[in-house]
Amino acid sequence: MAYRFPSEEWTKEYQRTINSSEDYKKSGATWTAGPVCLVVSANPSVGLDKEIGIWLGLQKGVCEEIKIVTLEEAQKAPFVITGDYARWKQVVLGQLDPIQGMMQGKLKLKGDLPTIVRYVKASQDLVKCASKVDTQFVDE
Amino acid sequence: MGGYKNRILEMDLSTGKKDISDVGEDDKKRFVGGSGLSAKLFFDRFDIRSNALSPENPLMVMTGPLTGTNLPGTSRFVVCGKSPLTGIWGESACGGNFGSELKMAGWDGVVFMGVSEKPVFLLIEDSRCELHDASDLWGMDIYQTTDFLKASYGDGKQVKVFAIGRAGENLVKFAGIGNDKAHFAGRTGMGALMGSKKVKAIVVRGSGVAEPALQEEYRSLLKALITKVKASIPARALREMGTDSGLDLGMMTNDVPIKNWTSPQDFDLSFNLGGPSLIEKYLTRGHSCYACPIGCKRVVKVAEGPYKTEEGPGPEYETCCTFGTMIVNKDLAGVIKANELCNRAGMDTISGGAAIALAYECYEKGIITRKDTDGLELQWGNIDPALKLVEMIAERKGIGSILAEGTRSAAAKFGRGAEELVVDVKGLDAPMHDPRGWHGMGLGYAVSTRGACHLQHMTLYVEQGMSAYPETGLETNYKGPQSEGKAGMYLISENLGVPCNSACLCIFVLGCLSASDFAEMVRVTTGWKDFDVAELLKSGQRINLLKRTINALLGMKREDDRLPKRILTPLSPEGNVPDIDLMLREYYTLRGLDEMGRPKRETLEKAGLGELISRLCLTGS
Repeated sequence: MAYRFPSEEWTKEYQRTINSSEDYKKSGATWTAGPVCLVVSANPSVGLDKEIGIWLGLQKGVCEEIKIVTLEEAQKAPFVITGDYARWKQVVLGQLDPIQGMMQGKLKLKGDLPTIVRYVKASQDLVKCASKVDTQFVDE
Repeated sequence: MGGYKNRILEMDLSTGKKDISDVGEDDKKRFVGGSGLSAKLFFDRFDIRSNALSPENPLMVMTGPLTGTNLPGTSRFVVCGKSPLTGIWGESACGGNFGSELKMAGWDGVVFMGVSEKPVFLLIEDSRCELHDASDLWGMDIYQTTDFLKASYGDGKQVKVFAIGRAGENLVKFAGIGNDKAHFAGRTGMGALMGSKKVKAIVVRGSGVAEPALQEEYRSLLKALITKVKASIPARALREMGTDSGLDLGMMTNDVPIKNWTSPQDFDLSFNLGGPSLIEKYLTRGHSCYACPIGCKRVVKVAEGPYKTEEGPGPEYETCCTFGTMIVNKDLAGVIKANELCNRAGMDTISGGAAIALAYECYEKGIITRKDTDGLELQWGNIDPALKLVEMIAERKGIGSILAEGTRSAAAKFGRGAEELVVDVKGLDAPMHDPRGWHGMGLGYAVSTRGACHLQHMTLYVEQGMSAYPETGLETNYKGPQSEGKAGMYLISENLGVPCNSACLCIFVLGCLSASDFAEMVRVTTGWKDFDVAELLKSGQRINLLKRTINALLGMKREDDRLPKRILTPLSPEGNVPDIDLMLREYYTLRGLDEMGRPKRETLEKAGLGELISRLCLTGS
């Protein structure tokens, strides 16, 4: 079954995919830097009237918690990556590398860059997990 | 016209005669400055066939129109001449503060000709230019020389020093030249050329300013560009982690060469050697070149242990590879020590490290033995013998004297298949970016006019998706391990990157800006009214064709535009390699080259380079 992106059910399936990934378990094994929040910017044309945050409670190779949060809550995470809907769609489809996206300014990062760089393999594995989720995009 | 002082100092070291020259306004615009203008001078005025270490080969130290302005990334200058390492056109750009100071002293550049009887240094204080005896400095390393000259000529205001070390004095073919200990013109052996002329250093102090032509536009552009650079993520990565920020990312994308280009990804290496580790363990502070809002330079200290160092310039990404991943050394302190030794000796850490990695592999394969290495056991993972080899190369002792001739020459001497272990193009060792992950970079290595080079073009940024220049026709989503379509990408990247070393703009800053920003920087500085992106790219094409013509006259042919066997061998059964034949074929067509690799007659005519045709003896169309 396909899960609508972005939505609560999509995030749950994403969490399940992350936690069944042997690659992420290994590459994220030493991650203790706290939650990462992915923020999808508001875009009324695809039905997103306000920002949506996807809160990933990552700890030592496991996604302990995942939830949809408001922008205000999202900003409390030590790492916040923000992009518009079309960019996140590219990321989920595996068409945009998130590190490249950040370098090109297509995705904005708030948080300690050296930590993100050190866990570049883990971030790639998280993207791989996202692309494995059977996704129905809200604009399709 | 802004951007120029309209004065080039010419020093004939054989006679001690000084002269002041200038080049025509037209050539300044056609070749922009820096390495482009140097190539024009070299082509027009010198016997390009003379031996690189002979008195006839000039050493040209040139600024560009942007040098010394306050626009971001404009500290740079370039050192040019025939390369002692490759025997073809040689150039090496440098950041720091020497170029800007030279411009403020009222000079666009210095051209050394001839050879001095005894060691000398050149002291420039505005219009006053004097050669001084440097016999007492000969034998000092770069740090000692710099400290001594700064103490002797400081007079309350800092002088800027550009000096060679023991490697340059001993004509190590890949010797570099160091500006204030931290900034190096490392590539193509310009330090050996300086050493051959017995010039130990140039000391400069300037009291003027570099005045842009269009003051008002300059001021608003300055403000906008600084804001833009500071906001960009590549700048933030460089500021926070230095150029070594690329190691973790590069490992992910198969960009990092390991074990002399023979091993696949090793995340343990990048974890220990990358920018974040440097910050955690050894960084004492950041440091900037003149007028740079990025500040990618590292100041480091190894406080204790076998690799203890004083506080000083830290290693760049390339050095963390050559003395780290290339010999499978995980000890970052050891890399810092190697960097200090190379800096002091004045040695290119890329070619120096490549020579040492070659020796390690030859040792492993039994091509050389302990007898050849003066008892050193060159075991992968152990940096200690590499540190000894740096000193032996600089002093030309034992096997060091063989390695000091460069990898190609050393491999020929070792024989028994060693030649196939060398990763170079036209005699210049490849920098630390593996074309098997990024095919466009492979084309860049094959056709760059100074040999394997990642800085004559913007491919690193464009192909890896760190920067995009849509106004030039470049796309934004290139796939690394793919050769189709890369010639077109590379051609534009080259046309954009070449003027970087002529206008003298830092490539890292250009990586944070647009091509339009770059063109605007040149326009407001020089006052060239019609200088836009199209003109910028045309100048890149023109300068490239001139340098290619010089190389053709020096015997370079299509077969020299190649990739070494190792790069054409996959790292794993499922790995892939660049289709260099396809990319070359397409590039030759797009660049307008004939089957021998020379620019065609109509290509030169179209580029406004008719004066090159007769020298190349091109007939017909």
